[in-house]
Order: sequence, then structure tokens, then C-alpha cells
Amino acid sequence: MAYLTPGDPRSRLRKIQILVVAIAVLFGARLIDLQIVEADAINAKSYANRAVSRVLPSIRGDITDGTGAVLAHTVFKYDINAAPDIVAPFNRKVNGQDVQISVQQAATEISTLVGQTQPEVLAKLVGTGKYSQVAKAVDAEVYRQIKNLDIPWLFFDPRPARVYPNGAVAGGILGFLDPDGKPLEGIELAQNACLAGKDGEETYEKGVDGIRIPSSAVTSKAAVPGKSIKLTINADLQYFAQQVLTANVAKLQADWGTAVVIEVKTGKILVAADAPSYDPNQPGKSSVDNRGSRVFRTSFEPGSTMKMVTAATAIDTGKVTPETHFIAPFGLTIPNSNGYRVTDSHVHGNDRLTVAGVLRDSSNTGAMQIGNRVPWQTRYTYMQRFGVGSMPGSGFPGESAGLLNTQSTWANDVVKRYVSTFGQGVSVTPLQSAMMYQAVANKGIRLQPQLIEGCVDASGNMTKVTKDKAPVRVVSEATAKSTLDILEKVVEQGGIGKHAAVPGYRVGGKTGTAQIIDPNTGRYGNLHAISFIGLAPVDDPQYVVAVTAYKSRTVSNSLGATPIFKAIMSQVLRTYRVPPSTTKSANIKTQW
Amino acid sequence: MSTARLTQAPTAVRQLPARASLRSINLSGLTNSSSSRVIVATITLGAVAIAILQLLLHIATSSSVYELSHLQTEKRELSTTTQILGQQVDSLASQQNLANAAEKLGMISNANPVFLRLADEKVFGKPKAALTADGRVSRNLVPNSAMTSSSIIAAPTAIQAADGSTSTIAGAPQAAAFIPVNANVANPSTAVHSVVSTSGGIPASPTH
Repeated sequence: MAYLTPGDPRSRLRKIQILVVAIAVLFGARLIDLQIVEADAINAKSYANRAVSRVLPSIRGDITDGTGAVLAHTVFKYDINAAPDIVAPFNRKVNGQDVQISVQQAATEISTLVGQTQPEVLAKLVGTGKYSQVAKAVDAEVYRQIKNLDIPWLFFDPRPARVYPNGAVAGGILGFLDPDGKPLEGIELAQNACLAGKDGEETYEKGVDGIRIPSSAVTSKAAVPGKSIKLTINADLQYFAQQVLTANVAKLQADWGTAVVIEVKTGKILVAADAPSYDPNQPGKSSVDNRGSRVFRTSFEPGSTMKMVTAATAIDTGKVTPETHFIAPFGLTIPNSNGYRVTDSHVHGNDRLTVAGVLRDSSNTGAMQIGNRVPWQTRYTYMQRFGVGSMPGSGFPGESAGLLNTQSTWANDVVKRYVSTFGQGVSVTPLQSAMMYQAVANKGIRLQPQLIEGCVDASGNMTKVTKDKAPVRVVSEATAKSTLDILEKVVEQGGIGKHAAVPGYRVGGKTGTAQIIDPNTGRYGNLHAISFIGLAPVDDPQYVVAVTAYKSRTVSNSLGATPIFKAIMSQVLRTYRVPPSTTKSANIKTQW
Repeated sequence: MSTARLTQAPTAVRQLPARASLRSINLSGLTNSSSSRVIVATITLGAVAIAILQLLLHIATSSSVYELSHLQTEKRELSTTTQILGQQVDSLASQQNLANAAEKLGMISNANPVFLRLADEKVFGKPKAALTADGRVSRNLVPNSAMTSSSIIAAPTAIQAADGSTSTIAGAPQAAAFIPVNANVANPSTAVHSVVSTSGGIPASPTH
């Protein structure tokens, strides 16, 4: 038996210490490796296992009218989803007592709230899957009611949805979004850069049971809400105009109608009404043709409303005055046109009319003679100045420039040159027509029509979103004044024009009964585009109202348009509290 | 072992190595001193204190987390309530609802506006009762599928006038908070509004 020699305990202790230190160093090194060298990779791997990311949807900006009334805004709607694999009867507290609710009973409760039948809902609850959509995009109120049912196997997913609280009021202007939130029409489409926000991203951690850890939400990227678009439209006036227009278009059995109201001194579009109108909350219920706005997009031959341009051009070039004499026969053959004959709308003899009388009676033969006093090249230039054939620049997407044939076409087509004097052979949109009258109402200066005031951020700062176009001096101030005097005679003395008069106000305007080419025959058909464009008060013009009913079937002349004009103009003057006129109309002769 | 020694004859005695001589070791450095006990106790107590503190902090944090979660849920519920109420207000304020309510109350838009110029008290236009159908569209022609709420027009309401007589109005839209005005109000100043005049325009009521 051998005895252990005690040796040197200090040496042993030292060895043990060295061993411990070595192990500690080893552990320390590994610790440094784990905590520092590989820390990021390990953290990332660990985080990836328990972290869940989701998109934070941004809220789209509002669209408001000129007074700030909201015409479009974003709310949350809710998808009601179920997990069929855990669908089972459950207990609900009723008057403090647990009551078992069967799946059938729950399905009945859900079905009454989401507008489905019980079998339809039940069919969505059967299966072994983890996801089944019971109802899509229900309102917050329905969501609240379903949530209060305390059904443990139902889940709710919020989703942003666009709502137009005034329905079809300015619907054609506002446009709409598709179910995924992509803009498809109108201002929604044109101003998406302003309205759309930027989606954010949120990451949170989930526990072993898959449930979100409440304190773990880390917003890695905050959602940026969209800005608002402020329109120039007055929603109350727009509603009124749409009501009146829709009622009258039905009475006239017309294909469609438009009404435009322009603030003369700013070019602001206060009303751009279409009939039929459509509700952007349910775009699918309207035909594709009715989902835009014809005010901006549809051009047609304006007819006699263009005679104002002819008269203003001749006066501005010094070729005529409002009282220059003309003999207007019933019919007139255009020289060098192979016998192309132009007639007036009603049979009459050789009327002895002044320029004012030609417009009062809306004589085509008279207008041709007035226009013929001015070289056609000059008239062409004036038409351009009045905005015919050029984009108005309102900011509405897809607006039309109308049609003004090229000068070379006019040079080779004498008929086109002549008939343009009374609004044939050229086409304009309702907005362009209104802006021609805005020019004479605004002392001869045509402004850019404004539909959008600007893009407004959360602080209320507004930025322009449309490209500015310089005002155009169309005619001199004196010519504009003379033209207004003539237009007033149309309302004072015209057989149809007098139906447009608003008591207490000096109103000027012009009728238009334009023939429409039948695309099947290439010739003018029997239906007309009837219009009335007017302004008030003539002593200090504030507003232009332009009304059109296309293919009117019960009334074939502007007599169908004047009641619409009168109703809208009266409402405009009342709304903006324009004082009645205090002066009398100019004393100019209409016949000799 | 002791039994073997008794039964076996003693063999030659093996020469055992000389036992190492024992010597005393100074263990003063290894034995527990009172100072080391203090250190151990301090460390132990410190660790326990840290653990308890951590526990308390964890409890406090958890409590805050649950409170935060509760408040977030409450915020979501309130946002939903705000949205529901906002949609109701939007519906009630829509032109379609107001037009319907006005029609039910018997209000007619007069197609024949008449204006009074205050400067010389001159009347423009010929006053006519708004009884013809010229100025009104008999029903709402501008659709609005977003209109989920509408004003409820109540039964005729009696209003007591200042002289004590009573009169009735056709109805009052309850949902639109139409409040009948009592002419015998104690504080008349709150019911009096001055008529303001805009520059160059027709004087407008402040309720315009």
C-alpha cells in the first residue's frame, strides 16, 4: 500500500487554479464568440424564428370641395374570416350564465348581419382548413356587431376602403378606386401622387403559441398618410345642378346632359355636372360611358353658341359694330361650294337685322355674312384665342381639346370656313364652350379653367398641382363690353332667350341648337344638341352657366335648355348672394 | 484483515518505507476569515436582491405591457366608434338626406327668387308662393349608396311663442338634433344673432 505524498499543496492549488482559469478562458472565448462575433447572426436567426412582419397601410388623403366639405375619404372596412378547423360550439355569457351556442346558431347570427343566408355562412365554416372568408369588407358597424357576438373562431382583418359620403355628387369628377385600392378614374387617378400615402411596416414577436407578444411591436417604417386635394367645386351647387339636370334630361329624353358653372374672375369651375350621374361608391352599377365626366371629355359641334365668337371677332377687328346692318335671308348658298346651301332653322323672308339682331334671332345666314367680313385666317386665329382646339388645362384626366381643323384644311374647304361661323365643322367640350363666354365676361381675357385648387398637406400648406397657363387676351375690353350688350339682347328680346331671364338681374346668353352627324350616314340627323350659355349680371359679370342636352327628343331647340340654365343661374346668384342689377341694358338696335 | 493476522504465521516482516515526517502547514490563508464571510454574504445577498429587483421590475413591466395592450385595444375600439359615428354624421349631412328631410318637412325650393335691396328697399322680381312644381325636383335623383342613416322626421311639434300662444311645425328631424326654440328663454342674448353684411353682397344670416 502506497501513501500519497502530500507534495506541495500550493503547487496543486496553482495547477487547479490554472485549470479553472483555462476553462474560464475557454468559456470566455466562446462567450465572446457567441455574444460579440456571432451575436448579430444568432440574433437575426432567433428573431426570424419568432418575428412577424406586416404592412402598415397608409391612409389615402381626402378630396374636398372648395368649402372644405369632404367628398372622398378613407375608412376601414373589415374582412370577416373563420378558422374552420377550430369551428365548434362555444359558451357565451348571457345574464351572467354560460350558455352554449351551437355552430348553426352562430351562423344564423352572422348571416343576418352580413346579408347572407345561414346555409351560405355554414358552408364557409365547414372543413379542416385554417382560413375561410365569411364576408368581405363589411362596414365598421357590422364589424362591431359581429365582434360583440364573441365567437372564438372568427378573426377580423381591417382594410382601408374609399368612401364617397355624398354619393353621386361630383361622382364623375372624383373617380373611383378598384377593390385593391388602385385609382382608375377622375381626380383619384389624376392626383394619385398627392392622395396616395406610403405604406409602412411593423414587425412584432410572437410567442411559442403563435400569439403576439404585446410589448414587442417595433415599427420599422411608419406609414405616411396621403395629402388632400382641394377642388374648386361647390358640392351644394353641384348637387342642385345634378338634380335639375337629371330631371330635365329625363323630360327631354336626351342621351345625356351637362351643366358647367364658372366663376368669371378666377376661372374656377364651381359646378361640372353630368346626367346621368354615377355613384363612385358603386362604379360597377353604371355603364363605362357614364363613369367619367363629359364636361371635360366629350366634344361636339356647338352650333349657334359659336356665333358669339363670330360677332366678337368681327367687332374686335373693326369690321362691324353691334348695330351694323345685314339682310339675313332664309337661305344662302356658299360661294364656290358646288351649291352648298345654308338655311336658318325657321322659314322667314329677308330679315333686316343688326349684328345684335343676328344673334338674337340666331340667324345662320346672318352669322355667315358677319364672319365673311373678316379674313378667314384672322377668324381662325381668333378661334384659337378663344380656346378652340387647345387643351383647357383644368387638371381633369383625359380632357379633350375639341377639334379645330388645320389652316390648310380651311384653305381648301370653303364650306368648313363658312359653317364655322355658326358652330359647325368645329367641336368643343362643354367646358371649352363655357370658357369662351368666360373670356367675354372677363373683359376679354380668357383664364385657365381651374378644377383643383391644390394639394394640401397635414399642416394646411397648399401646393399647386396643375401647370399654370397664362391668361389670353382674346378681344379688347371694349369688344367684350359690346359682345355682352349683344348677348343681353338675346335674353331680353329673343323668342327662346327670354326664357333664360332671371328676375332682378341683367342676364346675357346665347342659344345653341346644333345638328349631330349620324355616324351611319355621315350626314346630319334629326336629333340636336341643345344648349344655352349665359352669364350674369351683365353689368358686372360674376358667373357663366353653360347647359347642354344631347339628342333631346321631346324639345328640339334651346327651349329645352333655358329652364335648366335659369334654375341653376338663380341658385348660383342666391348662393353667392350677388346683389341684383341696378343698371339698364345698352340701347342698341337689333333690326333696321 | 485482523483475522488473517491471527491465522497465518508471521512472515518476514517487510521493510516499510520510512514514513514521511509530518509537518505543520500554515493554512491561515485558506481558512475562512470573518472578512471572507462578509464578502460571500454580500455577494449572496446582492444576487438575491438583484433577482428580487429583477422580478419586481418584470412584474411592473408586465403590468405596463398589459395596460398598454388594454389601452391599444381601447384605442382601436374608440377609433371604430369614431368611424361609425363619422359615417352617420356624413350620411345625415349628405345633400340627399337634407333634401329628403326638407321635402318631408314640406319645404319647397322656390323657382321664383325675389330679392330685396336694402339701400332703397326695392324688390326685384315678382314674389310668388312656392307652390308650383317648377322649382323643385320631386325626388332625389342623385344616388348615394353611402347614405346609411337618415333623419327621422317626428310628429308635429308644438312650439310656445312669446305671447303664450302655441303653433305647430310639420316635424323635427330628431337625428339631426333639430331643437325647438322656446321664445321665453331666460337669457335672450344667446338667441340673438346679428345680421352681417359681406362686402357688396346681400346681408347674410350667420346661420347661412
